[in-house]
Amino acid sequence: MNRIQTKLQENKKLLSIYFTAGYPEINDTVSIIEELEKNGVDMIEIGLPFSDPLADGPTIQDSSTKALKNGMTTEVLFNQLKDIRKSVSIPLIIMGYFNPMLQYGVEAFCKKCSEIGIDGLIIPDLPVDVYHEAYQDIFDKYGLINVFLITPQTSIERINFIDSVSKGFIYMVSSASVTGSNLGFGNDQETYFERISSMDLKNPQIIGFGISDNKTFIQATNFAKGAIIGSAFIKFISNNSIDDIPKFVTSIR
Amino acid sequence: MKLKVCGMKYQDNIIQVAALQPDYLGFIFYEKSARNFDSEKIPELDKSIKKTGVFVDESIDFVIEKINKYNLQTIQLHGKESPEYCITLKSQNIEVIKVFSIVDEFNFEKLKPYDNVCDFFLFDTKGKYPGGNGYTFDWNILSNYPLKKPFFLSGGIGLNELENIKEFKKSNASNYCYALDVNSKFEIEPGLKNIENLKKFKNITALAETTKNKKERVMNYNVNEKGYYGDFGGAFIPEMLYPNIEELRQNYLKIMAEPDFKKEFDKLLKDYVGRPSPLYFAKRLSEKYNTKIYLKREDLNHTGAHKINNTIGQILMAQRLGKTRIIAETGAGQHGVATATVCALMGLECIVYMGEIDIARQAPNVARMKMLGATVVPALSGSRTLKDATNEAIRDWINNPVDTHYIIGSAIGPHPYPDMVTRFQSVISEEIKWQLKEQEGKENPDYVVACIGGGSNAAGTYYHYLHEPEVGIIAVEAAGLGIDSGESAATSVLGKEGIIHGCKTLLMQTTDGQITEPYSISAGLDYPGVGPMHAHLSKTGRAEFMSITDSDAMEAGLELSKLEGIIPAIETSHALAIFKHRTFKPDDIVVMSLSGRGDKDLQNYIDYFKI
Repeated sequence: MNRIQTKLQENKKLLSIYFTAGYPEINDTVSIIEELEKNGVDMIEIGLPFSDPLADGPTIQDSSTKALKNGMTTEVLFNQLKDIRKSVSIPLIIMGYFNPMLQYGVEAFCKKCSEIGIDGLIIPDLPVDVYHEAYQDIFDKYGLINVFLITPQTSIERINFIDSVSKGFIYMVSSASVTGSNLGFGNDQETYFERISSMDLKNPQIIGFGISDNKTFIQATNFAKGAIIGSAFIKFISNNSIDDIPKFVTSIR
Repeated sequence: MKLKVCGMKYQDNIIQVAALQPDYLGFIFYEKSARNFDSEKIPELDKSIKKTGVFVDESIDFVIEKINKYNLQTIQLHGKESPEYCITLKSQNIEVIKVFSIVDEFNFEKLKPYDNVCDFFLFDTKGKYPGGNGYTFDWNILSNYPLKKPFFLSGGIGLNELENIKEFKKSNASNYCYALDVNSKFEIEPGLKNIENLKKFKNITALAETTKNKKERVMNYNVNEKGYYGDFGGAFIPEMLYPNIEELRQNYLKIMAEPDFKKEFDKLLKDYVGRPSPLYFAKRLSEKYNTKIYLKREDLNHTGAHKINNTIGQILMAQRLGKTRIIAETGAGQHGVATATVCALMGLECIVYMGEIDIARQAPNVARMKMLGATVVPALSGSRTLKDATNEAIRDWINNPVDTHYIIGSAIGPHPYPDMVTRFQSVISEEIKWQLKEQEGKENPDYVVACIGGGSNAAGTYYHYLHEPEVGIIAVEAAGLGIDSGESAATSVLGKEGIIHGCKTLLMQTTDGQITEPYSISAGLDYPGVGPMHAHLSKTGRAEFMSITDSDAMEAGLELSKLEGIIPAIETSHALAIFKHRTFKPDDIVVMSLSGRGDKDLQNYIDYFKI
């Protein structure tokens, strides 16, 4: 069983953290992953930086620009992670845009992920239909779980389709927005969370976008299996050192 | 030529025929037919085989139900279905074949209303039943076929016709024949196909294809039912954008076909934009380069460029979709001004994203947009130019998924944008056709030429000539300081296949897949990608791509000013510069899109020539 699937079976609410590889400094990648695991984070999304991240807000885009300036590339990231499974055992997901993967070669990319011990991928601009038609066989061959997003506007039919193609969890985008909006959750979101929760989907849901503190974490995990924090962590790590990570994790739960 | 086997009925037989790898398998959903398909499912087939549903005057709901139930990729309409009927179904992401039956003669005029609303025609023998009559018609009739739409040849084709097919392939009548459609002549009983005979037929016709009488087969340069031009196009968008794009995709063709829409669009182009724009014979320029040069004067449109053709179309589209808020991206400000203009005209809120650096460079256009009531928002991320303005506009759309329409300014972006923008701009070549006929007695020039950034004026200039092989297509990109200088925007030379702003196309990028910043003296050509249609024209060799440096372009702009009294936009000057580098015959007719006027570039010209 894939590490993501095993983790989802644990009887607890999951905390997943996103960070941009190669940020703040090029060689921080591995130390950040190790420190997050040590402090009880359940799952990590490693952001492969891209020059034009359409679905991200300014915080993640700025960190991506900086990481690219620091010299981060697909090859560099794979090198940094090559021994990661000697020290880390929680599920690791690479989140990135499709063009860098396409240039690396989708099959070569998946093969490398599987050799390193990456468990899944999140590719916001690879739509489920294209994945299903052209790439699913490759992902399956290398035992990688692809995670799809749904939003408050996603139709019921499409949610059911995404559920049928998914093999791990569904990434539930909390509201119509890019990453890093920080407005808290109101009635609209709660209604939406409740609506999806009551669909009894085959895959558990993990909520992301707009989760920044203990309050929003609790609100989200009331209805879902877990929550993902991205921009808030990037902001924290911009102003603090890796040794301060325990402070961040305890402030969330 | 492709092969379609029609009238499949039995599960085992379907699997056997599919093993022969035909391109299409047909399933008839018509109760009166002996081959009516009534099984609960179609066996799993290889993805390369298109499952085709054949219908005769059924309700739309019935057809859609079958499409979903059997996961059909193609539908074939055998009855009296109207063009509106075809378009409604085409919006379902499906390939549409419209059938016409031929007796001894055929009035090809009947096809015209269907030319834009289906993917293929199918010509069948007129008989007692709608299809499946088992005898052929006189294929020579097809030598009078006046259109460019590829067609299927059907009606009584069997092993006895192999010689005739060979002859047919050599003749002009087969120029646009895309596929052969076989059925009853390969049957043991209705619906049960004879595998051995089919195998023989397929092998022999395939063999004939590779022998010396092989001609250049018809290519389709239009977008297909999935939003692709060959390998390029598609919709690579985050899920957050899916509902917006899907709403547009399902509705754009339907809305554009509404008589009321067409009427309003044409009226605004005439009374507000000032169309038709003149097709001007440039006498002194022609003398200088010893060829016949016509300039299509898009620079005389309201707001000074071709951009307004598209923004008029899209604002009407937005209104019909019930949108109340308009967003746009702009580089030099031309598309921003054209968008702000139509928003003022319709009284809609308008937000234009523009790179911070471009705002500083293009102050007059920023002022114009503000006067027109638009809000100009600086894009502060990345390189703070056009591609970042586009990113910001897309982010705005993600944040405002319900009331907002995004007016993209070029033939780029996720499907259906490239096709929609191209269709709105196609008024350019539509006019060239009749204007040239008036002046030269023929619709087709020897060449059509346009400059390309994303490629909207080029797409409109080429559109009605894409399938006229005798018309050469020339695309002119900006070489900046030179192709090898590192400061260039010549995407067809420097670009690689990849994904930018939601579509697969050629784009300038690092080996690692990061999008790079192009350079050109002209703000309208420095886009790191090119529209997917143009990527396809480049890859297939249908268009000849040239690249022109800053200095050649500036000189050509000055030359046109002095020879013809027309100061062109620097984008257009790139197209004009080809005469210095490429020779045309004295009697060649070269039609060039004069895409914009030079007022906005005056400061650039002043600085460059120290005027």
